[in-house]
Amino acid sequence: MVVNFTLNEEGISVFHDALACMFKFSDEVCLETKKDKLTLTTLNLSKSAYICFTFAASRFFSRYSFEGNAQYRDRFFCQLHIRSLLSVFRPRQGGESGRDNRETTIERCDVAIDDGPGRKSRLVARINCRNGITAEHSLSFEPMAPTHAKFDKTEAVNHWTISSRTLRQLMDHFGPGIDLLDINTDDETRVVNFTCFTEKVQKRGANANEAVLKKPLHTNIAVEMDEFDDVEVEDKLHIIISVKDFRAILQHAQIISGELAISYSNPGRPMKLSYNSEGILCEFILMTIGQDDAISQKHKNPRANSVAARGARPELDSGSRRGSSVVNATRNELSQAQEIPRVPQLQQKTALRPRQPQFEIRPQPIPPQSVAPPPPATARSDSLFVPQGDDDHQWEPINPDQEDDEGGNDRLEWNSNNEPVWRIHIVHPNISLTLVTRTRPSFASAAI
Amino acid sequence: MRFKTDLKNIRTFSKLVAALNSLEKIAWVRLDDDTVRFTVIPDTGSQVWASLSVDLIFDNYHLQSNEANNTINLELPLGPLQRALRSAQGSNQASLRLTKRDGIPMLSMTIHAMTKEGAQEARGAFGAGGMRGHNGNNDLDPFGDDLFHQESLELTMKREREKVITQDIPVRVLHPDTVETIMQPKVREPDVNIQLPPLLQLKAISDRFTKLALTTSAGRGGSGPGGGNAQNPKLEISANMHGSLRLRLVAEALDITSVWDGLENPDLDPSQLAMPLEEHPSTRFKEEGPEKWATVRVDGKDWSKVLSVGRLEGRVIASFSDDHALILYVYIPNYDDSSTEDVVTYYVSSYSA
Repeated sequence: MVVNFTLNEEGISVFHDALACMFKFSDEVCLETKKDKLTLTTLNLSKSAYICFTFAASRFFSRYSFEGNAQYRDRFFCQLHIRSLLSVFRPRQGGESGRDNRETTIERCDVAIDDGPGRKSRLVARINCRNGITAEHSLSFEPMAPTHAKFDKTEAVNHWTISSRTLRQLMDHFGPGIDLLDINTDDETRVVNFTCFTEKVQKRGANANEAVLKKPLHTNIAVEMDEFDDVEVEDKLHIIISVKDFRAILQHAQIISGELAISYSNPGRPMKLSYNSEGILCEFILMTIGQDDAISQKHKNPRANSVAARGARPELDSGSRRGSSVVNATRNELSQAQEIPRVPQLQQKTALRPRQPQFEIRPQPIPPQSVAPPPPATARSDSLFVPQGDDDHQWEPINPDQEDDEGGNDRLEWNSNNEPVWRIHIVHPNISLTLVTRTRPSFASAAI
Repeated sequence: MRFKTDLKNIRTFSKLVAALNSLEKIAWVRLDDDTVRFTVIPDTGSQVWASLSVDLIFDNYHLQSNEANNTINLELPLGPLQRALRSAQGSNQASLRLTKRDGIPMLSMTIHAMTKEGAQEARGAFGAGGMRGHNGNNDLDPFGDDLFHQESLELTMKREREKVITQDIPVRVLHPDTVETIMQPKVREPDVNIQLPPLLQLKAISDRFTKLALTTSAGRGGSGPGGGNAQNPKLEISANMHGSLRLRLVAEALDITSVWDGLENPDLDPSQLAMPLEEHPSTRFKEEGPEKWATVRVDGKDWSKVLSVGRLEGRVIASFSDDHALILYVYIPNYDDSSTEDVVTYYVSSYSA
């Protein structure tokens, strides 16, 4: 065994949150272990966002050992599918009522990674639930060295720190249909402005004037500089990033820590966002959108310039994959098509982001008397009389054919998996999964 | 042309906009010195005319236009307006003004608000619930930690400042001539006037009927005998002048009816009528007894959208013209001033049998 560790209950939840955050950016994650820490890194497909989470071995692990071998002397690394890791650490919930949460929570997770010449490259995760059930997942991985994005601290002269919770709540004011966030300051009024807008071309209606009404809400939030810590920003500097990325980061940041620190230099240069808590450090490097594009987006007719503007989004500098010759990688299909051949075979498959598992195996549930009681029949009331209350949702029309108002909102943290606990999904053909019950017979205590 | 006002009763305003938005994405708004009128006319389905006194939702109201009678007519998207109003809920102060940005007319809402600091504070850094960091809902636990959250005394702690949020809603300014061509429908004197039961109840049952019709007709193709087109089931709604309302669904395999009794048939004001009360159709319907029903058929899905107005929590009077029309008058409760009448009128699209 090269790496051997046990995640404690807190570690499992922190791991899951970290992976869920990364999954919004990429399908793959690089796991890197050293003597005293474990690092998860990922880079998104367009290479405009890099994430690095570092976990201290002393905090989230009840056991942690890394034994170097000939191949991995001072560090071990591998690349895994985030989706399969997420399914391992997914919180088990006993039906919709959530009554049996205590019973079915994962108590600890033993992870063993084996690799080396003549050995199978496998990560084996053994889940131990509070109710005595264990599940063993065996995941295959690619021995791929992580890519680390570079960020020049000395260049990033603009910086500020603010409560991530405050910032996260402010994001609620932004409506759907926007995709870019412009952060700018005004020394005169002593405020930092967060402006959301879109460069997307609105679908032309039969009447061009009608298109005007289809523009999304344009939102600006002015926050007094006094509310920031450590604030130093060039006056009137506009820095533009993707709203979706920013939202995903804030969602995670408010779980982890109170303070979010941001530093950056100029448009078209990287921006670093970081926050930490005891034993965990979270760093994000985002490529900001270039100034020329920003001007065209803000001041010219968006219709005329949108394609050019959207295209010019530089990549991050990476330490190990320097080969990328396309400086202005675009996000449209054309450039992705150029990029894909350079990516190894395995990645190419996942680059399409399969949202559905390729196949599903649903074994019979474990005999009910030995495990937690089956989930209650259904919590969703189909009865004729619904309870009175001020739940605004009840007033929504039946089967409305308008698209979801919140469509562009990307509040991604909803776990849609409301399925019974012991239904097992095998999400990837490379993963073998065994389910083991260790439960005592239910009459044991009575007999004694 | 100038329009500037502070907002009040944002909750009511927001609920009205939400109700309108469930019917159609775009509304016409007519502002004058006393009244704000919202008109929603979908391509298919029910029309809404909401006439509100300016004082219901506006304060410090300034309106100035070159048109006769000092009016401004706007066309605006309801989704963004609803979204902006949601931003304004719970704010310290919010105002609305007509302006231009990049040459495009905008209704600009300026909101002064604080972030809800306490709501999230109580949550541990690594809560077991993990992911669902949702705001609000602290009213569920009146003695929870949220209300009496203990704050640590830190000299470095930042005081929370007020944030200024600007929400720009794109609008079109309409020429009054085009607006005058939109006429409120004229309907003959109703046969039955009745106050509807609680709309939440009515909506739940109507939706249930509609769903039943959709599921029973699924996969069979064609249309049921009375249920109309399989995709657009029709509900039959009847009322009499003896306090009863009847909701009925006739589909291929089923015929179900729900009846409410003991409802109020509001009295008509003789001074408002063009005919003597004795000659009014409703008097005739009353005299003919409880078996004399006025009936209309409505589209189940459209009816569900109409009933979404229940969120306004107002009294709703339904006026039935037998086999002809159904009109709902929704009286918006105005807690400041009960002398004015703020009414939302729904012309429910109905179908003959």
